[in-house]
Amino acid sequence: MANYGMALDYKNCINCKACEVACKEENGVLLGADKHRIWVGANDVKGEWPLLDIASAAFLPSQCQHCEEAPCQEVCPTNATYYNEHGVVLVDAEKCILCSYCMNACPYDARYVDDRTMTVDKCTFCTDTRLARGETTTACQNTCPTKVRTFGDLDDYDSEISELLRTREHFSLKENLGTKPKLFYLT
Amino acid sequence: MQVEVSRRRFLQGSVALSVIGGTSLSVTNLLGGHESQDEKGETAVTTKTGTGEATEVATLCEMCVNKCAAIARVENGVVTKLNPNPLFPKSKNMLCPRGNAGIQALYDPDRLKYPMIRVGEKGEGKFKRVSWEEAYDAILNGTDKFPGMGKILEEEKDNRSSFLFCAGEGMAEHTFKTFYSAFGSSNWLNHASLCLQTVISGYGVTIGGYAAADLENAEYIIMAGANRAEAIVTPDTMDGFKRTKGRGAKLICIDPRFTNTAAKADKWLAINPGTDLAFVLALTYVVLTEELYDKAYVAENFNGFDEYSKSVIENKYTPEWAEKITGIKAKDIYKIAREFMAHAPKAVYYPGRRSTFSNNDFQLRRAMAIFQGLSGGIDTKGGLVFGKKLKLGKHEGLEPIYARAESRAIEKEKHPEKGHSGYSDCAVVSGGGSWIAWRNRFLEGHMPYKVRGMFIYKHNPMMNMPNREKTAEMMKKMELVVSIDTMPSDTVMYADVVLPECTYLERTDPVKTFGGAEPSIAQRNKVLDPMFETKPVIEIMKGLTEKISKPLFEITKKYDDDVKEELADLGEGEEKKTPEQKAVEIYAEFDLTKPFEHSQEEINRHMVESVYGEEAVKTLQEHGVFYPNMDKFFKPLSVNEHQYYPEKEKAYRVNGGKPKTPSGKIECNLPNMAKKGIDPMPIWKEEYNFSVPDGKFRMLTGRHAQFTQSGTANNAMLRDLIFENYAWINRRVAEEKGIKFGDELEISSRTGKTVIKAYPTEKVGPKTIFFVHGFGEESEALTWAYKNGGNDNAVIEDVTEPVYGAASMHETNVEIRKV
Repeated sequence: MANYGMALDYKNCINCKACEVACKEENGVLLGADKHRIWVGANDVKGEWPLLDIASAAFLPSQCQHCEEAPCQEVCPTNATYYNEHGVVLVDAEKCILCSYCMNACPYDARYVDDRTMTVDKCTFCTDTRLARGETTTACQNTCPTKVRTFGDLDDYDSEISELLRTREHFSLKENLGTKPKLFYLT
Repeated sequence: MQVEVSRRRFLQGSVALSVIGGTSLSVTNLLGGHESQDEKGETAVTTKTGTGEATEVATLCEMCVNKCAAIARVENGVVTKLNPNPLFPKSKNMLCPRGNAGIQALYDPDRLKYPMIRVGEKGEGKFKRVSWEEAYDAILNGTDKFPGMGKILEEEKDNRSSFLFCAGEGMAEHTFKTFYSAFGSSNWLNHASLCLQTVISGYGVTIGGYAAADLENAEYIIMAGANRAEAIVTPDTMDGFKRTKGRGAKLICIDPRFTNTAAKADKWLAINPGTDLAFVLALTYVVLTEELYDKAYVAENFNGFDEYSKSVIENKYTPEWAEKITGIKAKDIYKIAREFMAHAPKAVYYPGRRSTFSNNDFQLRRAMAIFQGLSGGIDTKGGLVFGKKLKLGKHEGLEPIYARAESRAIEKEKHPEKGHSGYSDCAVVSGGGSWIAWRNRFLEGHMPYKVRGMFIYKHNPMMNMPNREKTAEMMKKMELVVSIDTMPSDTVMYADVVLPECTYLERTDPVKTFGGAEPSIAQRNKVLDPMFETKPVIEIMKGLTEKISKPLFEITKKYDDDVKEELADLGEGEEKKTPEQKAVEIYAEFDLTKPFEHSQEEINRHMVESVYGEEAVKTLQEHGVFYPNMDKFFKPLSVNEHQYYPEKEKAYRVNGGKPKTPSGKIECNLPNMAKKGIDPMPIWKEEYNFSVPDGKFRMLTGRHAQFTQSGTANNAMLRDLIFENYAWINRRVAEEKGIKFGDELEISSRTGKTVIKAYPTEKVGPKTIFFVHGFGEESEALTWAYKNGGNDNAVIEDVTEPVYGAASMHETNVEIRKV
């Protein structure tokens, strides 16, 4: 069993949103700006023209963090949210009753409602599309122009992601919450 | 009119679909004559990729000009995903948001589907659906609404130049141009004068070529007036941002506004619009006075160095002088000049690839190229790289000589004085011409002869050229307008005959060679058969020429003295021919169908096989990319990186580090330019100073990563990412004026006005207004693009720079008013 995670060399990100489109086309995600599994966060630059603080204008790609201790899974009353054998947090649409507890519990705002099924949807690491076909990476990683993302097996010592996490400093989002995210931002 | 081929129908529920709201969309008058106009209904969809059977076809993207390599995944006859093709050194295994959204271009419900001819008034957008044969016939013979080309050519006595041909950039532009050459007109206009004419030519005359910047290896990059994070160019965009932010390459971004490139830079300096030339001259001043330049390189490779050096120093182009003009602090200019030269030759003043912004753009490019030369960073790893281009075989065209065809419709100066340009509107007439000058001359009646018809291919002059009103007037005045396009653009609305081309995913295009340090050949292969009644342009040209070739030759026979003479000369003795034999022989030279005899696939095969053999043909068909030794050289290095060539095989240096001008030297001084009234060396002039009257703003335009001008304006997926454009206005100015986010502003100039919502931000200065180009089309046949924001070209004035007559996009001051 693999233990999937993703490392993001986020300083490479130019906020082009190729990942968002690739995700939507690959996974048949609803159109509409409020329906997305992944996104790029951008802060408004601080300061007054022409003295602006470049560092304040960083781009931060984000999505479901596939937490090891996922609050969304804990609160789900029907066990619709579950971990698959590779540690990927998924939603079983058959079981989802749209109580939206998970949406409130998620500290990363990673979940939205799919209006077709009226269930909660989120990033799957392309589990039921690319990975199911035997491909080894996600649509977002594959298409990224500046190669922000590295997807792989955290339990495999020799995987590229393991190597990156051994050799590069990194952080996770809202680490203090103890959710143990499996997205790692390289510094 | 309903969407006949929606993916919904294809899929019959076998693959999960997502639908954009099931919206009922406004019915357009595009398909006048068809009363049964059902609502368009559920249109834009994404399709979840399946796990079952699928085929993959290697193609090249056409969502912008880059031509990145893609692999289309096809399930049940439907393209469900476009993935990057790792084999292509130019695009390095990536597809940008537009590339990913190419599926929505293929399945756009508003696509042109059938040939149409105009039944309403010109520009009204009322057409009737016809067969291809009827459309070709209307082009030749006209209808009660417009004259045919037969009548026009008859009346103009076979002056082939009475037709204008224009085209946008694209792989099949060549195919269309082949038709233009065979037809025999001299009036060709392309996008160059609305785009990168001055940068190509400025670098061309100065260092002998528009070289690529090696951003993969440069240690110091000045990116001024170029926005690679948003205006994506491959491979520059991928190479340029992986090592910034203290990771090996220092990026200095110079721009009047804080772009995404600025956000990714190590330093951003706001500059007054149109003053980059003063900035470069001051950098040059520092480098010359502090003797920081590569002396050995300059001694060996420069022409006119002493004159230029004298000019820069005697004119006192000091950083202190430039500070007043550019707004950039003198100390920053000193620092950048010193740092640049300290990193040379692994330092690049990035040439860029954009429209002409200001009237001094040609001189700016010259100054940039010379500055680069001073560092010795030419034809060098980490600097500017000419690279290598792989050869391709030739495809025979046809270029008959028509005695009656006039030369290009330009206006020579009647009394050229010393120091005056040779033409009324520019000094040099380039191959692509000056679009604005041509249009305005046509409207003002300064043509040397009548031009009465025009062919437009994949080009949207209504949207892409300053002063929209004038373009509309021109289109109305043209008696016969034939438009070949995939979408019912604003320009198509003014056509008399509309010929629907298929999208790039439905055609094989001419095989193309891509130069650079890692050269390759790539081919766009057809993924699906053309939908509806659309055709690739090569088949459109074949059908059209079969219809018009002989009738038009009859007109030539009537008026062309050379042809008449040749027909009469039957030869003597054993060589003697019958008049019929002779007629066949002469017609062969004028047979317009000839260049279109073979399919694109056959032509590509010939062009590749003749040089690289049968295997290369197969490789291109199956994998889309070929270069010698690809099987040996190409290998994945990691999930994100690939080797295309081993280091020692890369063509960083092809000319011994020298420029490629005819003289073999970098040309600082061009006395020939002086004869045409153009400064022989880059100098600053008073009139270049940035000044905006009180109460007005300088209008800036630009690009961003999720849109390609008006070409992608109707793309449902991209619209998700940017619904409409907003006018950037300085936050403090907006506050003073009581303008809040989302307030509607009317932006007006002498040219016209447009309405757009406000985005107060500190990312622009108090004297400028910015909004992205490509929005606000007025064609009602474009469901999503219709009036989706402000149209910059309704406002930008038709100012041209003096050398090539290229459109200067940033010379317009506007007023704003809350509405």
